[in-house]
Amino acid sequence: MELQDKLNEIFCVVFDDDDIKITPEVTANDVDGWDSLSHVNLIVAIESNFNIRFSQKELLTFKNVGDLLNSIRSKITA
Amino acid sequence: MPFNSLKYFLFLPVIYLVFYFVGERARWFVLLASSLLFYAALNVPYLLAVLILVAMTTYGFGIWLDQAESAKAKRVLLWCGVATNVLILVGMKYLPFLSDNLKALSTLLSLDTQIQPVKAFVSIGVSYYVFQAISYLFDIYLEIEKPERHFGYFALYLAFFPKLLQGPIERAGDLIPQLKTKYEFNYVNMRFGMLLFTWGLFKKVVIADRLGLYVDVVYNDVHAFTGLPLLLATYAYSFQIYMDFSGYTDMALGSARLFNINLSQNFNSPYLATSVADFWRRWHITFSRWILDYIFKPLQMQWRNRKNWGTAMALVVAFLVSGIWHGASWGFVIWGGLHGLYMACSVFYKPYQKKLHKALVIEKTKFLKYWQIFVTFNLVSFAWIFFRAANLKDAIYVISNLLNWMKGGSAKLLLSQGRLEAIILLGVILVGTFSDFNKGMQHLNKVSAVGRHIIYYLLVVTILLFGISENAGFIYFGF
Repeated sequence: MELQDKLNEIFCVVFDDDDIKITPEVTANDVDGWDSLSHVNLIVAIESNFNIRFSQKELLTFKNVGDLLNSIRSKITA
Repeated sequence: MPFNSLKYFLFLPVIYLVFYFVGERARWFVLLASSLLFYAALNVPYLLAVLILVAMTTYGFGIWLDQAESAKAKRVLLWCGVATNVLILVGMKYLPFLSDNLKALSTLLSLDTQIQPVKAFVSIGVSYYVFQAISYLFDIYLEIEKPERHFGYFALYLAFFPKLLQGPIERAGDLIPQLKTKYEFNYVNMRFGMLLFTWGLFKKVVIADRLGLYVDVVYNDVHAFTGLPLLLATYAYSFQIYMDFSGYTDMALGSARLFNINLSQNFNSPYLATSVADFWRRWHITFSRWILDYIFKPLQMQWRNRKNWGTAMALVVAFLVSGIWHGASWGFVIWGGLHGLYMACSVFYKPYQKKLHKALVIEKTKFLKYWQIFVTFNLVSFAWIFFRAANLKDAIYVISNLLNWMKGGSAKLLLSQGRLEAIILLGVILVGTFSDFNKGMQHLNKVSAVGRHIIYYLLVVTILLFGISENAGFIYFGF
């Protein structure tokens, strides 16, 4: 849960909305303002917070927050 | 065999009957053979060879990609497959442009090179199925799709005649499963398909071609006009190209529907867009999705650490590619570049724009929405000038004389073919531009059978009476 909470904080900062509650099923359609522009900011924020780097292929296949969480988890435990 | 030709009006029902009466197992073959026949009817034998070449190489690369074990091998195979397709496209479409520009460059640099002028190939359809082939390879690489093992279905995915010459650009995951679905006669689909086809024909021959009469007079000899006629012709072209291309798309979707195939929708009232980005979500949707997924997003992610500049650069590059895709000329490059620039600028000013709307208390008001539609429509129409003008010199002339109303002159040209006709045309344009066919069908279903038949006959009679019978080609055929 800890990872999800930390990611939630990043979401709140990037989308400037303290009420966001993410779950693994959440997609871009569910979050107000999550378009291709803010998506880049989100990715950059996640990468610098967790000190990780996503591959191009991962970035193009994320479908929801669950995919994002799995990828982060695999990188920080590696 | 364009959709608005007598040949096609005979071809489509005959193919349908054959398709209907052969058994389920032979149906894919009937569709593939008729698609090749349809392509062969262009009387350009090498086009068939190109289609088969693209189908065979992409089919092979798709399977190899899936079988490759290492990530590196997959990447190499992806780029080989994409490069093969791009080379075929460049070879078919861009050699004359490249050689002309190289020649001009070498003259400029006073180099003594012997660059021979290259003759252009006919490349109808190639840019559409090559884009489909590339999307297929990417989707396998990204593990969104499994490769198609049945070569017949794969070739049909590229060649299916309703979408062969002018799209929509379909994804394998959307089209192949439908091609494999067992066919059962469906009255609703049949009726919907025939009506959509007729509606598309109406948009093409009654509206687009009629607008074309006026646009052509002005744009084929721009130097004879200034001011209002140029402005009217430019707006008329905005509607002509929309009616032409969306009319074509309706006919493609209508034809496919007879075989129970739902092709992707390409338009969603594009001139009601409230920003240029919104316009691209509503105009030539299958193409803009392609540009977004395979060019813009990868570049944007590649340049993500440059923040807004990365996104802005990705937009400009993606839309330059979009321009070049339409044809090998500087007009298309500038047209694409303009759209890229519009959106790149908005990346930077969007936050300030939002603050301004808040300060003026016009957020979420109808006024703001209409204002944004008006501005977007004008930005898009401005870019169309480069799309339509015969060359850059003409385009620059049009722009510099657009607001030069003093010399005016032949402003009455629009009405010269009869005042009444112009008024009818205007009404029809408004209905056609802002109406949604699916909603129209829902309303139509509520009308009594007699009423419905009156509407059908009216539509056909209007096409016969007001349609332009000379076979004007579709604008997007050229791309």
